[in-house]
Amino acid sequence: MRGRRFSTGISLGFLLAGTIAAGVLASGLPAQAQDIGIGLVVPLSPPGDPVGGQLIRRGAELGVETVNAAGGVLGGRKFKLYVEDSQGKPEAGVAAYRRLVSENKVAVVPGFFHSSVAIAANEVANEMGVPTMALQASAAEITSKHYEVAFRTHVVDPVRVSAFMEFIKQKGFKRVSMIAETTDYGIGIADETIAQAKKAGGVEIQKVPFDRTVTDLTPQLLQIKAFKPDLVINIGVGQPLDLIIDQATTIGLLPTTPMLISYDAPVRPQYWKLHPKNGAGLYFIAYFSPKAPLSDIGTAFSKAYVEKYKEDPVYGALNGFGAIAIIAQAINAAKSTDSKALIKTLETGTFKSWPSNPVTFPRASGVYWHNWSAPVLILHYTKPMEDWKEAEVAVQYAPVVPKD
Amino acid sequence: MFSTELVVQTVISGVMIGVLYALMALGITFIYSIMRMINWAMGEFYMIGSYLQYALVALLLGPDLWWLAIPISAAGVFAFGLVVQWSLLKPIFRKPPEARDDYATVVTLALLLLLRSLATGLAGPNQFSPGSNLPVVMVGPMPLAGARVAAFVFALAALALFYCLLRYSWYGLALRATSQSRIGVQTAGIDVQGVDRIAFGVGVALAGLAGALLAPVFLVYPTNGLITTVKGFEIVVIGGLGSIPGALIAGVLLGLIESLGAAFIDSAYQNIYGFALVLLILVLRPTGLFGERGREA
Repeated sequence: MRGRRFSTGISLGFLLAGTIAAGVLASGLPAQAQDIGIGLVVPLSPPGDPVGGQLIRRGAELGVETVNAAGGVLGGRKFKLYVEDSQGKPEAGVAAYRRLVSENKVAVVPGFFHSSVAIAANEVANEMGVPTMALQASAAEITSKHYEVAFRTHVVDPVRVSAFMEFIKQKGFKRVSMIAETTDYGIGIADETIAQAKKAGGVEIQKVPFDRTVTDLTPQLLQIKAFKPDLVINIGVGQPLDLIIDQATTIGLLPTTPMLISYDAPVRPQYWKLHPKNGAGLYFIAYFSPKAPLSDIGTAFSKAYVEKYKEDPVYGALNGFGAIAIIAQAINAAKSTDSKALIKTLETGTFKSWPSNPVTFPRASGVYWHNWSAPVLILHYTKPMEDWKEAEVAVQYAPVVPKD
Repeated sequence: MFSTELVVQTVISGVMIGVLYALMALGITFIYSIMRMINWAMGEFYMIGSYLQYALVALLLGPDLWWLAIPISAAGVFAFGLVVQWSLLKPIFRKPPEARDDYATVVTLALLLLLRSLATGLAGPNQFSPGSNLPVVMVGPMPLAGARVAAFVFALAALALFYCLLRYSWYGLALRATSQSRIGVQTAGIDVQGVDRIAFGVGVALAGLAGALLAPVFLVYPTNGLITTVKGFEIVVIGGLGSIPGALIAGVLLGLIESLGAAFIDSAYQNIYGFALVLLILVLRPTGLFGERGREA
């Protein structure tokens, strides 16, 4: 087993080495002993979504191991990953970004699961100049401000909501309730849904916001039940998401009314442990289908991940790995860790990540600025304890990025 | 959107959660009335109670014996409370009372951080649920989780038992006397430090009991005691520090105001309604609704 893990690691290393070799050779730089710091700001404790943060961290750690095993970047410099816990709080995320840049002298700060944290950190990043890369934060504002430092490899709100609308249209739903946390993520999605529903017409929307520190969501769910919706959209992140499922079941809203979860939390192994009886029948957004082809480095990462963690990698882990792979390629292509050179390279280059399609960060219009997004899926658990890889694909939505 | 059914359902929901809030507040107010100190780590004892309940149900007893796990969890927290009182708080109370509050604040705040970090380190940041086999129960027009109804009944029974012990037992008399005068009771031969130990153990056991009762309803994770602590302190201010009836009535009042506010004003500000009530009470009656009566008890 150990030997097989070693050999998988070696093959992953060779693949990444091949991917970044061109940049290493082109740089012509002598090997330097100095490590290159990479920051990672993710939620590792509540009130954030610690599971989401942990998955990104696993992918990023494996990514750093792989880059280093392949000989590092810039002719031999190794990556050193500095991980900071944002707790899902903007102030903690900002402090973490500052610490990483000023104390650890990191070259790039990927991570950012919670939109509020990404938005707040980008304000500071815009002054300090070290680029950020949001890996699972979808609020439009993260990229719509067109900051030079702000990059993202995740679906943006309008695309996610377009997938919602496709689903609503397909099922013929006429009354839709949204229970949304009062964060940039929750309110951003809720408002975008209202806007797109108004444009589409024929759908009555109810928006019920809640403070994410509240644990008893019965009053909000009673309002929703009284509205008699055809669909409930659960826009909670982390613990509120699970509380909504349980408390909606209690008051009889579930399973009679379908529920759509706004992100991919149900693909995590924890989902069925928390909802063994009431987790079936729910729809949820996902950003990755195991039926979709991976790139060569994505496939090798997937094997290494399975060997290390004894479970298949999900989107968060893949994106954590992908960010490190992109950063390694960008540093080699830029032949530098200088922030301005890196930003220029990220904007103009084409990178290999976990999906089969190449990744780019064009200076596109609106929310698509510096943004790459995987296709959006809506999956459906049709039976209890169903493997997410077997879940029914209800909607497959490919974002159309406007070209300027 | 007003409908009679929605109003009734919201009121039932508010009363149910209010009683559970009161259990938490009772521990805070009881420890204060005896020891004259605020235990800022109260939420962490709630958290320990919830983890014990989860561990007992998930790993040892199984979901059918959830009811047995509840007193065991509360007893575990009581025992831990005795250790904390003996090792961390007793030395403070041996010394003259100057700055005792300050020391107690620093110690319990440090304990809060320590216990929370330990929980994250030992069990990870993930959420757990002990699960429940109890069926949904109809309370009037309101369907309620069996676990929530059980928690409500257990909480009411615990509050009643606690009140009877305090009111009708010899030890209850000693506790009430200590709350009136720590020096006076020593002239009657009562061991104040012994009373402190039991009071602290019982106070945190009430929080642990709340944690165990609510584990299947509000999930188990390292910071799950935070919101209940905040509610507990709100209730203490509303009901009056040291008052047991005050804790119960303020708990129900807080639960009702939050539920009705969330349902009929704006659901985004559910926490704000409680704070507004706290501010109103502080302006109109700074000692709380039953503050003075509680101090005499």
